[in-house]
Amino acid sequence: MSTSTTTVAAKGVAGRPRAAAPGRRAGRPAGRTHKAFSPWLFLAPGLLITLAFNLYPFLATVWKSFTDARTLTTGEFVGFDNFTALVHDDQFWVALRNSALYVVLVVPCLVLLPLLLALLVQRHIPGIAFFRSAYYTPVVASVVVVALMWVWMLDDRGFINGVLHMVGVDPVPFLSNQWLLLLSSMALTVWKGLGYYMIIYLAALANVPRELHEAAEVDGAGPIRRFVSITMPSVRSTMVLVGALSSVSAFKVFTEVFMIAGPTGGPGGDDTTLVMLIQRTGTGLQGRTGYASAMSIVLFLLTLVLMLLVLRADRKDKD
Amino acid sequence: MAAVTHHPAGPRRTRAPRRLKALRYAALVVVLLIMIGPFLWQLSTSLKGTTEDIYTSPPRLLPEHPTFANYRGVADIIPVWDFILNSVKVAVSNVLTNVIGAAMAGYALSRLRFKGRGVAGIVFVLALLVPMEATMLAQFATMRSLELNNTLVAVVLPGCIGAMNVLLMRNAFDNIPYEIEEAAIVDGANVWQRFTRIALPAVKGTLAVVAIFSFMGAWDDFLWPLIVLSDSDHFTLTVGLNFLHGTFSNNQRVVAAGTIIAVAPLIVMFACLQRFFFRGVGEGAVKG
Amino acid sequence: MSIHRSVAIRTAVGLGTALSLTLLTACGGGGSGKGSATDGKVEGEIKFQTWNLRANFKDYFEGVIKDFEKANPGTTVKWVDQPADNYADKLSADATAGTLPDVVNLSPDLAYPLAKAGTLLNLDKDKVAAKFKPEYLDGAWQGFDMPGLDGSYAFPWYLNTGPLFYNKSMFKDAGLDPDKAPKTFDELFADAAQLAQKGKATLAQPPTVEDFGRYGVQIMSEDGTKFTFNDAKGVDFLTKYQAMFKEGGLHKQALTLTAETAGQKFLQQEVAMNPGSAHDLDTFKKNAPSLYNSLGITDVPTNTGKQNMYLQGLSVNSQSKNAATALAFAHFVTDQKNQEDFGHKVAVFPSTKGSLDKEYWTKSDGTEEGKIRVASAKMLPTAVNYTPVLFSDEMKTILRNEIAKCLQGKESPKQALDSAANQMTKLIQQK
Repeated sequence: MSTSTTTVAAKGVAGRPRAAAPGRRAGRPAGRTHKAFSPWLFLAPGLLITLAFNLYPFLATVWKSFTDARTLTTGEFVGFDNFTALVHDDQFWVALRNSALYVVLVVPCLVLLPLLLALLVQRHIPGIAFFRSAYYTPVVASVVVVALMWVWMLDDRGFINGVLHMVGVDPVPFLSNQWLLLLSSMALTVWKGLGYYMIIYLAALANVPRELHEAAEVDGAGPIRRFVSITMPSVRSTMVLVGALSSVSAFKVFTEVFMIAGPTGGPGGDDTTLVMLIQRTGTGLQGRTGYASAMSIVLFLLTLVLMLLVLRADRKDKD
Repeated sequence: MAAVTHHPAGPRRTRAPRRLKALRYAALVVVLLIMIGPFLWQLSTSLKGTTEDIYTSPPRLLPEHPTFANYRGVADIIPVWDFILNSVKVAVSNVLTNVIGAAMAGYALSRLRFKGRGVAGIVFVLALLVPMEATMLAQFATMRSLELNNTLVAVVLPGCIGAMNVLLMRNAFDNIPYEIEEAAIVDGANVWQRFTRIALPAVKGTLAVVAIFSFMGAWDDFLWPLIVLSDSDHFTLTVGLNFLHGTFSNNQRVVAAGTIIAVAPLIVMFACLQRFFFRGVGEGAVKG
Repeated sequence: MSIHRSVAIRTAVGLGTALSLTLLTACGGGGSGKGSATDGKVEGEIKFQTWNLRANFKDYFEGVIKDFEKANPGTTVKWVDQPADNYADKLSADATAGTLPDVVNLSPDLAYPLAKAGTLLNLDKDKVAAKFKPEYLDGAWQGFDMPGLDGSYAFPWYLNTGPLFYNKSMFKDAGLDPDKAPKTFDELFADAAQLAQKGKATLAQPPTVEDFGRYGVQIMSEDGTKFTFNDAKGVDFLTKYQAMFKEGGLHKQALTLTAETAGQKFLQQEVAMNPGSAHDLDTFKKNAPSLYNSLGITDVPTNTGKQNMYLQGLSVNSQSKNAATALAFAHFVTDQKNQEDFGHKVAVFPSTKGSLDKEYWTKSDGTEEGKIRVASAKMLPTAVNYTPVLFSDEMKTILRNEIAKCLQGKESPKQALDSAANQMTKLIQQK
């Protein structure tokens, strides 16, 4: 991979040739080898975009959350009114509950199932490359696309109910019951994420010394005991990583629920998630931008807490 | 049984019961059906003609008289090719801006010494902490004041140089041995020459990863285009499919055809570039 | 890839303006300069925006524009049409960016937030526009009266009561007279019960605010400060709907279906009735020929004897650079001749005084369409817009959600309506 083209044309030299002292670690030149402004030219596009479309909107959201701004009006400063209103807003609590439920139910599945899957496809047996790729297919497809496929599978007269009907089970109202709608969305999230996390685990498993397993097998340890006492500890840090990644994205879930439970969030809006509520409240001709910004701040703080919690669990484990 | 991960060529291999192997394949096939079954069912539905009942129980797996009529039907209801073109424009721009912008910024952070480098690095790390979902309303307001709302430019801009990609590139550049660049400095190469001729070729793999994930991210994105686009002329494919799903004259066979049209290019791309997809997962996750 | 270049350029340009612009808006100095005078000379270019009308009426509008330009030399009208979906988003984006067209097609609920933000011309307060007021039906003109904003904000344009489609063969199968559609809500509930006995659903959506209005429920207090649909009559209405839902009179997925997906259920003959618009006829003809053959069209049931009036209007942008031209054009499109012409093109009704007395709308030509036209025209003079002007999307969602909770049995009808009315009243008091 390292195509080291060391011969560089010496025309148009900008910086004076100078033998730089070897840095303390590779990649850290000691002396100046460029004009003072060059680094900023390199950084300018990335820095500007990040400041303008990431950090500035964040500050603007913080400011807006203290105003009663609407889509068409800038609004006035109202102090903590939006936040106190949130506390008394039933819809907000329902949305918060749904997003939290999403984390609680989806994350354990996404931490464990892909690990089992990785173990299943780990061995280099004939045809395994095909299975690995096939398992990754849902990752490649758009959420909207796979959600539409699922909606069709889960229809009252769709594939799953068709099969259930064969064995004499009444149609299951996947697409009209409040809880089944939410569970179906979660199942979709898990299904779509399996392949992605499977690959992460495969990379981690490749580093587990085989001798460990062999020694355990000689000791007469069964598969389950070997899984618990050897595999799990050796990929523990990867599990934490997967937990962190999947919990943050589960908390921000939007598309799956939007597509399966519908834009208004299921019957009575009881399947609305936090991001759905932000989208619904803050957009449109009469959108309450200020109020929705307050929800956005809550979303930001909670994702931060979630990340810290997972990382802290990791540290505690290590101690 | 899944935990059997011993050495394939080990001495005890012959002792491994054949039954176990059969069991493993059985498990592989069951999972296979779960993972790609929905795609196949969708494909089958999309090929069924209007005269064929698609609501039968037991479900009929193969179309009786396969037809492509539904694929033509998609284009009658939504301008699906325009949507695809829009998505391609967005995805390709996103790849170019991310590859170039992230490589440049990552190079500066990794290989150049200057005052303020630490601060610049922190800006990108901070950006990682702010979820897009929490700032999208403010982003929308910014787009409106720039009069960019309802344009594809607005779809691309916020994610056009991802902080994550910048940090990925920085890590990649960190791994190039300094000696190589040193020789170029002695030869009198300037920064730009060192960047394009030495550093970039050395991180081709990571560039490919950034490119693929930028493409997928843009192709997949739904929430932001949904908010920022209002004319159906500018819809990307995901927003367009949602629209197709919601139209009055909706027909399950046509929706199925639409989803197949949307997913097929991605599957082909994946089949060709598998290596980078898998590599990308590893790098993105481990270093993120 | 040319887009990439333009992205790069616009990024560079954009970032500069981004900072200055956001500073501007942050300071609240939007620079909302007043438009030109409405009594000035009628000349120059204006932009005219319609809502989902190009597909079917391209020739009509091009004709009207040509006539106007001929009558007013030196004027140019640029016509744009927006698709049905996301119209509100498009408007809000244009309004904040200051790019709202000079003449805009609006319904009262869309006009309200725009008028409140000061982007529309108050016709009652404009000496040129106010003169035209007597040409229009009083009810239509008042339809654009914005509560708390002291005036009317659009020239009334076309009216509609909105037909109710029903499936005659489903009626017949259930032992109902296919030619006798329910006229009142009691008849509707009775028919639904009979259809439900055969395992068929009647409607695909729970009741909307218009349904409450047609049932005779007072939606808001007289002074427009408070929602009052949670009175005894409202509770009675919802109780009956709850019973209807329980016995299967509503589609099983009724609580999650949108207006569009509800239409699909009617297309698939899973429900017997569905409200719609004249445009839907084409859809039926093309996509569901068997349904089209047994299609019945009737008025939506009402207990008040009055229909709900769906009203469209043309507003003038208050910041228009050629306000005189914009005003003249908005009036021109909505004058008696042009409105009557338009009413001949499609099943909508003119809002100009005297138009509905013309033979076309009073004497049936014997066709099915003619019969419906005359019947609907008869209802129009008394029709009311039951949807309060300040009924926002958010309120729509609140009402829908509370009704869903009630139909599922999680809340009693009284609880659901109390809660909805409270939340909505809070929203209008917030301002």
